[in-house]
Amino acid sequence: MTQRLWALFRKELRTLFASPIAYIVLTVFVALSGVYFFQHLLNYNRLLFVFQSGAISGGSFDAGTIPLQVNSLNDLFIPTSNDLSLFLLAVLPLVTMRVFAEERAQGTDELLLTTSLRPWEVAMAKHVTTYLFVLLMLAVSAIYPAAVVIKSHLGMEHLLALYVGQLGYGMAVAAIGLACSSLTQSQIVAAVLAYAIPFLIIDFTWLHPVLSQGVAQVLDEFALQSHFDSFARGVIELRRGLYFGGIIALGFTVSVGSMEFARAR
Amino acid sequence: MGAKIEAKAVSKRFGEHVALAELSLEIDQGEIFGIIGPNGAGKTTFLRILTGYWLPSSGDVYVDGHSVVKNRFAVQKQLGYVCEQPKLYDDHGVRTFLHMMGALRGIKRADLDAAVERAIERFGLGEVQRRRIGVLSKGFRQRVSLAQAMIHDPPLIVIDEPTVGLDPRQQIELRRLIQALGGHHTVLLCTHQLREAEVCCDRVALLDRGHLVQIATAQEMEAGGSLEALFLDLTQRSEGQG
Repeated sequence: MTQRLWALFRKELRTLFASPIAYIVLTVFVALSGVYFFQHLLNYNRLLFVFQSGAISGGSFDAGTIPLQVNSLNDLFIPTSNDLSLFLLAVLPLVTMRVFAEERAQGTDELLLTTSLRPWEVAMAKHVTTYLFVLLMLAVSAIYPAAVVIKSHLGMEHLLALYVGQLGYGMAVAAIGLACSSLTQSQIVAAVLAYAIPFLIIDFTWLHPVLSQGVAQVLDEFALQSHFDSFARGVIELRRGLYFGGIIALGFTVSVGSMEFARAR
Repeated sequence: MGAKIEAKAVSKRFGEHVALAELSLEIDQGEIFGIIGPNGAGKTTFLRILTGYWLPSSGDVYVDGHSVVKNRFAVQKQLGYVCEQPKLYDDHGVRTFLHMMGALRGIKRADLDAAVERAIERFGLGEVQRRRIGVLSKGFRQRVSLAQAMIHDPPLIVIDEPTVGLDPRQQIELRRLIQALGGHHTVLLCTHQLREAEVCCDRVALLDRGHLVQIATAQEMEAGGSLEALFLDLTQRSEGQG
């Protein structure tokens, strides 16, 4: 079984990196996250400079003192976390849309599923490969922030927690995309669904006007954003991990189920 | 020696449409068995059920006693499948692809390289073994498809429309290859080419709109008029009913 899974895994890697989309997505993601991180860093440094130099004084500020509101958490880590989550949401469907849909459209699933491979093995290889790609994206994008944070002693643990959160979030978004891809032959349909579902569940405040307070509070617990926010604050909580794990498990189950369903149609 | 196949009242329905209606047949070990019929006769549907890709709506197929419904993985281990219009990974090299398919079909790591070499030699893929599948001609793609299906030397080989798109010389080569498989392997050949069925097969089943119309042996095909006559008669009757 290990040999077959390894062969499948290598096939998925080969297919992923044979496509220009992987390189484009990686480049765009790393470039955007780098540019925006440095923008936040620049703004943070400007604020520090302004307050330290005493350029702002009077009112609620003491000259030469940095106010509590100006700190690396508020001005660097949380904005970076928000940016990364948005970029992941924007680019991951482009990676996941083809994973199952292309296989089905080209009929190569027939080749795989008549070789005594279990559907869960096929799905496992596809999911693991995609999650490793998410890890690669985040790892490459983390190089510059890590260098800056280490050099300036801004709190490596914050950055680490932020990226752990983004990894969980990215894997959850990818799992949703993979589940969508497994439901259709059309990459366009898969991409549209993979954009729509995370956008709907990222934050449920848009539903608050029509919900009672109790229901809204319960629903907010299932919002994607509420779960990665705490990581950006440097807190790694088990329940947040379980939430992302639940979405990943659900995406995997849908992927396997769709193959079994297609067999019985 | 090949595998024995028994189809027992196999049906497949897609909503109201009956693609296969209670098909029952037996194929002996080492036999080359053809399935012919007009478009929509249920040929590919039967192959997809036999290979475990689709579940039948009712009935079952047994390969050496293993039920495709209850234990499709045991059935799939015994077969090699050449899909209609070779479905291959165009971004893979020929050798890489065969290596992968060998691993997926359970060939042990220590034997894999030798199995790939044998397949490359047997199907004349030496000159293209380093090329990407996507740039190969139809003939070579078909050969790659056959090579992946037979890399683990299965007792049952299922081939769907093997000569579609091939030039006459490639068709003749492929027919010779299929003929050579008989005896050692059971071959189930689904084709539109009546000549191919006549030349290659020990017996041929004629399907029409999901129903088994007739099974003819090679002798019957020779003695009782050609398969072509049978086929024309069938299609004319179908048109008359339609």
